[in-house]
Amino acid sequence: MKVKTYMSQGGILPPGFIQKVRRIVGDEHFSQQEGDLISYSLDYWMYGVFLSQKGDLPSLPSAVIAPDSTSQIQEIIRCANEYEVPVTPFGGGSGVLGGAVPLKGSVILNLQRMSKFLSLDALSLVAEFEAGIMGANLELELNNRGYSAGNIPQSLFCSTLGGWISTRAAGQFSTKYGKIEDMVLGMEVVLPDGSLLNIKPVPRRSVGPSLKDLFLGGEGALGIVTGATISVHPLPELTVKQSFIFPSIEVAVDVVRQILRAEARPAVVRIFDEAESERYFPKIGRKVTTIFISEGESEYATLDARVIRRISKENGGRSSGKEPSDIWLQKRFDIGLAPVLMQYGGIVDTIEVSALFKDAAKLYRDMVAAMKAVEGALEVSGHYSHFYREGACLYITFAGIPKDPLRYYQDTWDAAMKATLQNHGSISHHHGVGFWRIQYLERELGATGIRVLRSIKNALDAQGTLNRGKLVNGGE
Amino acid sequence: MSMAENKKEAEKIARCAMCADMCKYSCPTYLATGRETLSPQKMARLIVYNQKGLLEDETGFLELMFRSAMCGACSRHCIYGDYDLRKFIHQARVRAFDSGFIPDDVKKRVETFRRFGNPNGDRAPIDRGAGHIGYFISCSSYGDEDLLRATEKVFWKSGLGVGRFGGGDMCCGAPLYYAGDMEGFKQVSLKMKAEIEARQLHRIVIDCPTCIKMMTEIYREIGVQLDVEIMHTVQLIEELLGEAKLRYRKEKRTVTFHDPCILSCDLAMSGLPREIVAALGFTLREPVYSQDHTHCCGASYGAKIGDHCVKDAVTSMRLDELKQTGADVYVTACPACKSVLSEIDMKYITELVAERIVAKR
Repeated sequence: MKVKTYMSQGGILPPGFIQKVRRIVGDEHFSQQEGDLISYSLDYWMYGVFLSQKGDLPSLPSAVIAPDSTSQIQEIIRCANEYEVPVTPFGGGSGVLGGAVPLKGSVILNLQRMSKFLSLDALSLVAEFEAGIMGANLELELNNRGYSAGNIPQSLFCSTLGGWISTRAAGQFSTKYGKIEDMVLGMEVVLPDGSLLNIKPVPRRSVGPSLKDLFLGGEGALGIVTGATISVHPLPELTVKQSFIFPSIEVAVDVVRQILRAEARPAVVRIFDEAESERYFPKIGRKVTTIFISEGESEYATLDARVIRRISKENGGRSSGKEPSDIWLQKRFDIGLAPVLMQYGGIVDTIEVSALFKDAAKLYRDMVAAMKAVEGALEVSGHYSHFYREGACLYITFAGIPKDPLRYYQDTWDAAMKATLQNHGSISHHHGVGFWRIQYLERELGATGIRVLRSIKNALDAQGTLNRGKLVNGGE
Repeated sequence: MSMAENKKEAEKIARCAMCADMCKYSCPTYLATGRETLSPQKMARLIVYNQKGLLEDETGFLELMFRSAMCGACSRHCIYGDYDLRKFIHQARVRAFDSGFIPDDVKKRVETFRRFGNPNGDRAPIDRGAGHIGYFISCSSYGDEDLLRATEKVFWKSGLGVGRFGGGDMCCGAPLYYAGDMEGFKQVSLKMKAEIEARQLHRIVIDCPTCIKMMTEIYREIGVQLDVEIMHTVQLIEELLGEAKLRYRKEKRTVTFHDPCILSCDLAMSGLPREIVAALGFTLREPVYSQDHTHCCGASYGAKIGDHCVKDAVTSMRLDELKQTGADVYVTACPACKSVLSEIDMKYITELVAERIVAKR
């Protein structure tokens, strides 16, 4: 192989394993072809993408296995345990922390053949899907029937339901519809010993700790989610778009706090700092712009919008109409600038953290200042999204053209994580841990938290079969 | 291509190779096979690596290039407005052809083409009727008696004077283009140009969207300009209905229209066929994946998709999607789609129109 790997090498698989797995999935769904190994070597971890330009890849899988049923996955996992072959699940490959990179000789368990829409229960407002369905196709299936899941992440077109569950994802409309953990009612999970855990879909249960929460953010290290039942919503009758300009980030954050305290629930709330406002809305320029999208039944959406308007105006907000919302809706999936910058030696990435309202504005100031101070920084900008009554997610984008790309990347991440922890925030809101964030995990969870997480990993996966080197380094 | 243009093109595919693959949700070969390697961004990465000499398995790479449906779903959903991955895949196919490597399925089709001048094999030429309007009978329409009969009925009832031509060795050359045989394709395009010029036509009507793509966009790219208006059958029907040249009886059944990929993506004609179906009184029942989100039918293997396993997977996926609507009638506007999706008794839109015509004007 002429491509170079810098984290680990693909392993040599025991012939018995290959023979058995081929029998399980069929010869055409087991591959060690060069094109397949390269294609499954990397997800959307941005530093890895930057290096991939030159043919440098983090790690090649030992093989790619593509089952089409839960029972096949169970058989493959049992076989992997028998031959001590580590397994990395791969959904849409859109994760930005390296969660799907096949480290330490892993084989890839490709879930993309399991992508069916299974059923819609319009009375109970739930729908069942196989985990490998692409987000956009999940939405198209529901929209065609008059519904939406309400989970619209920026990765909608390249991420899967299983990936959303495994990273504890959040979508752009989350302030009204909730995050993935609010949407999943039941799921089917293949455990690291090959047994099947079926968590039936019910609105709530009280039978000890919630088992499904183990896998909401399990990153494929605790089990492989093969299907799920999620809540759905009728398509909105009315959508009301508004935007306001506020004198500062501090004022804007406080206005949103008041709006949520008044029990308004806009689907979308985004506060853009001056730099992002200028990028998105050149006509507005360098001002703090906040957009609100209220939707649902006409009566509800109208009232929601009215509360937002009143509180915004009471706090000095200047209306800039619906145009900024329309512009954002058009541009929200466009991440085309990152590959262009990388072609010219630029490093680009995003970091999402969360904090209570009392810390949210200072966190923004500290984080941006610390990241801008790193040598090689070109631009650091941010917005708040995913609001709660108690606080918000802060989403920072950074770009630099450094002399030493890895140094710049590491230093910027270090600065961001340090500022977050100093402001009592969480180091991740919805991107997860993968392998890149492991280095900061102990400072988030504490030694005791790590011990608990590692104990769970070891209890379920003592052999370390699933997604080795991710989330926690358990079972190795 | 100049050096600057070459550099620009290289930058485009390198950019695609680092993109987040936001178009893959619509890629039929990726969805039907569940194979990440066939997703547009991964195909781009492999093309870039191949150009940089980073791949060892040249044969495996070239085989992959023949597994694209060449349908354009990725370019339609591309976040960059100036890019079409198909051009790069096609360049790889040309290289494959020139170096003597083409998959067996493609080879068979090319051999048939070389022997008979068309992908169907031995067939009689068609040359009848006269007028400044020509009806070019595409290779997929040839032999489809239901379609040809329906077309005749539409011409007759509307009183249109049309010269029909096709069959024999008359072909737009698409099978050679998709095989990467650009020398053969150029010869065929020049032959087609001469054929059309000899007929002194002002306008040509064609059932097959791929023929239209070839005879307009692709011929132009290789320097062959046809001095004639080329229109798709749905455009003619819409014109005839609009000018009240056809009288028809309205119908109440439900119809699902399958958008052919080239018609919808390259020719941007998703609305017209729906307007025709609605004008005839039918109720449209849309599949989940339609119009901008349509999926390729797989078309006939040995042409766009050069691997029968991938082709079968794509066809099977599309059939499942269409069956879900449970419509009374399935209709399309590409004779190749009609043939490939025959399991659901697919009709060409002209047949639907011809069924409803009640009297000559």
